[in-house]
Amino acid sequence: MEINTREKTDVIIFDIEGEIRRSDITDVTLHQLVKDQLDAGKRNILLNFQNVDFIDSFGVGEILASYISTHNLGGKLKIAKISKKLYLVFQVTMLTKVLEIFDAEEVALESFFKDQ
Amino acid sequence: MAKNLLNRILSRFVEIKPGEEVIASLLFLYLFLIMFPYYIIKPYRDAKYLIELTSARLPYAYLLTALFMGFFVHFYTKLQVRIQRRVLIISSVTFFALTCLLSRWLFDQELSWMPLAFWVWANTFIVVLVTQFWILVNDVFNPREVKRLIGFFGSGGLLGGILGGVLTGLLGRDMPDIVLIIASGLLILSIFVVNHIFIWHRKKSAPSDQVGHKHRETGEEQVKVGFIDCFNTVRKNYYLKLLAGVVTLTFIVSTFIDWQSKTVIDIRIERMDEKLEFFGYFHAALLVIPFLISILMSSNILKRYGIRVTLLLFPLVLLLCIFGIGYWPEVFVFALAIKAGDKSLSFSINQYVRELLYIPISPELKYKAKVFIDMFLNRFAKGIGALILLFLVYVYLPPENWQWDWRDKVQLVSIIGVIFIGAWLLLNIKVSKEYTNIVKQKLEMKWDRGDRVVAEKMDVDYTKLVFDTIESRNRSSVLYAMHLFDLIKQDKLTPEVKKLISYKADERKVSSLGGLFESGEITLVPEMDDMLSEEVLDKEVKEIMSLDVYQEVMKGYIDKVLVDKTDDTETSKMELAKAIGLMESHSPLAQKLEELLEDESPEVSKYAIESAARLKRREHVPALIYKLHNPLTREDACTALEKYGERIVGTLSDYLRDYDEDFGLRREVASVLARIPIQDSADFLAWELAEDDGDMDPELIDALDRIRSRKPDIQVQEEVIKTKIFKEIKKYYQILIKFYDQKSKAKKPKISEKLSENLAASMMNVFKLLGLIYPHEDIFRAYQNIRTGTKDSVDYAVELLDNILPKQIRDIVFPLIEELHLEERVKRCRTLLKTFPKV
Repeated sequence: MEINTREKTDVIIFDIEGEIRRSDITDVTLHQLVKDQLDAGKRNILLNFQNVDFIDSFGVGEILASYISTHNLGGKLKIAKISKKLYLVFQVTMLTKVLEIFDAEEVALESFFKDQ
Repeated sequence: MAKNLLNRILSRFVEIKPGEEVIASLLFLYLFLIMFPYYIIKPYRDAKYLIELTSARLPYAYLLTALFMGFFVHFYTKLQVRIQRRVLIISSVTFFALTCLLSRWLFDQELSWMPLAFWVWANTFIVVLVTQFWILVNDVFNPREVKRLIGFFGSGGLLGGILGGVLTGLLGRDMPDIVLIIASGLLILSIFVVNHIFIWHRKKSAPSDQVGHKHRETGEEQVKVGFIDCFNTVRKNYYLKLLAGVVTLTFIVSTFIDWQSKTVIDIRIERMDEKLEFFGYFHAALLVIPFLISILMSSNILKRYGIRVTLLLFPLVLLLCIFGIGYWPEVFVFALAIKAGDKSLSFSINQYVRELLYIPISPELKYKAKVFIDMFLNRFAKGIGALILLFLVYVYLPPENWQWDWRDKVQLVSIIGVIFIGAWLLLNIKVSKEYTNIVKQKLEMKWDRGDRVVAEKMDVDYTKLVFDTIESRNRSSVLYAMHLFDLIKQDKLTPEVKKLISYKADERKVSSLGGLFESGEITLVPEMDDMLSEEVLDKEVKEIMSLDVYQEVMKGYIDKVLVDKTDDTETSKMELAKAIGLMESHSPLAQKLEELLEDESPEVSKYAIESAARLKRREHVPALIYKLHNPLTREDACTALEKYGERIVGTLSDYLRDYDEDFGLRREVASVLARIPIQDSADFLAWELAEDDGDMDPELIDALDRIRSRKPDIQVQEEVIKTKIFKEIKKYYQILIKFYDQKSKAKKPKISEKLSENLAASMMNVFKLLGLIYPHEDIFRAYQNIRTGTKDSVDYAVELLDNILPKQIRDIVFPLIEELHLEERVKRCRTLLKTFPKV
């Protein structure tokens, strides 16, 4: 798994590539990267899943831990460009009740502004 | 920051902010120009009435005023529906100015009913104009602003009253007939001031305005309603009913006091000119005390003691006075003292507190309530007081009975007064409690704790199981079967899940979940639930696993897999780890889990951790705790330890307090304790917070905060937390001063940025700590609104904190949160640091 970070209109975007799996983690976890941004005062986080093929239960844990840390500080964590298969799993497991998921990055970015 | 001249002058007397000086001065002047003529009219009214109708007939005046006000308010509410606020106020002032002149002429006609009619007119005058004034104040300012400025506005009225009284005293003996003409002239002057207030308010209510005010829609756009609607508004609202009760009792007691003092004065002073002179000076003198209280003490008393204590002050003083006059009715000083006590506090502190109590109510409700309570109910209460007096004076102690003289009557009224004051005190306590609730409702809860949201909205274990099931399909049919078995056991293998987990991403693209489920092409999940029921399946698996022969055969297999150190055995170990979790806790094979827990592969560890959580064997706890080290197994280990529950709290606290242990591990242990929200967890965390040198404070505070957010009834040692609050606030002050120094030097923006982050973190810690010993939800609500709210919601948040925090804490917390310029905030922090409580 590879994660690249960029910032767009006060939103931190994590472009994730590969699979978020326990066996795929190298040095830092997604949650740690999110926490670093929160410590730096950032409150709007977008996870770009365009190149994410699959996640395992560890990946779910990472996403939820990131969501909790962001939410506890009054921030927002959202997901964009998730694959249809993954979206189905998110729906069945009710992850969609907690996480805001968008088809396109622009729509997701706009939603952060609407929240403010 | 450059301040204008008016601001500099006013700042000496009142805590005024830039942009407020003009409107505050206009409102000061407006009340001054209402009270000046009223305190000319009032002595004239009293003297005329006592001379021509005597104090014995005073209850009739109170009663007639009450009846008249009933009709008048009905008429007034209809009028205000049709007329704009601005026109209504200006017309009212004009009406009273002209009728004041008319009264002067009517008195010359020596009509016998005129003193009574003038009494009623004078009361209507003050009720209408003062109510209109406070409605205007309520429209322009929010509670925090009013709290700062109320003493200033009030002192304008008191100053006017004093001057009016003194002028009447001076002219009373020689030129009594001219006073009403002066009063009329002053009222006409006030029209110009009112007009300016509306012009100012309209300008400032523009959307671009930066000085936020509460109700931009004031003036012409205000809600206008009839009397019945006003009455129903109060009747249907618990808080307004309490307020109405307080006002009723206040005015009943005030009627008793007025009658008692005037009865004594009527006997002591006989002539009209002497009475007019006396009342002029007396009323002026009565106002000097509240004037001084307003200028010097009102805001301070309110800020220092809050609404709750201040509300009790007035009835308690009156209780003492009414007891005094009851015990020594012949002492003239008591007649003066009781009236002085009543008027001085009712015009200062009581008036301000009452106005503050209205402020958190929505503008629509407030307007209706004020019309009913302040215009009708207070006079109606005087009517009730008059009826009680009539009963006591004419029926209970009839005048024809020679045994009873005025002293007995004054004493009896005192006894009844004490009973009413008792009820009034109780209602005040109830009102102040309800006030805090109303302020709270003004503050929106902007977000809940993330962990609570997740726990409420989804089943994390089930979610992970679904993902694991999907993931295991291509890895191992054994693991896949065991996951399916788990889903069946939990009754979660619904047709949707069944179809979902058997769906292959690359087989076809689906446009929706519905489409997928309707396809009917999926046959990859074995139809187990058709063959066996959940109970039967569970029972059969358990029976097989508990067979001695199974245990023996499996032992051999497990040993073989564990000995093999090649990578190929990873999947086998995962299967084993999962299978052990399906066995009974006392099963001999469960011991093998320890080795699997220590396996290097995070995948194997994950399954071993899950199985440990199912078996809950104590010997696995140390291994699970050490799994907290690794970010790949941390979350699973946390969840597993949480499932052990309260029986491992002691063990966890041992790790927490072991300073030889890794710092990161101790931090994670604190987070596990937070997931077991019991009193012991809170006690151990607080204990550690007291002992710790500060490195782990954020984690310990967050853990305690998490516990309190889930279980607000859990108590945390107050002394420990207070000490930490002092330390954290001191730290905040120091960071703020550094930040200010960095900023003013305009150097090293990165350092400023870092300091700014530290300030935000420190502020959050302060509030989390406050939430540990004061109502958690209220503190959390206040914090969120302070951090992200508008100017008004910040003010309401500060008001809420003002009502729930003790003075000692308020004094050091408020400089952090009150709306101040950075320079002034730093100045305050520097001052406070010099006298900061030692911890």
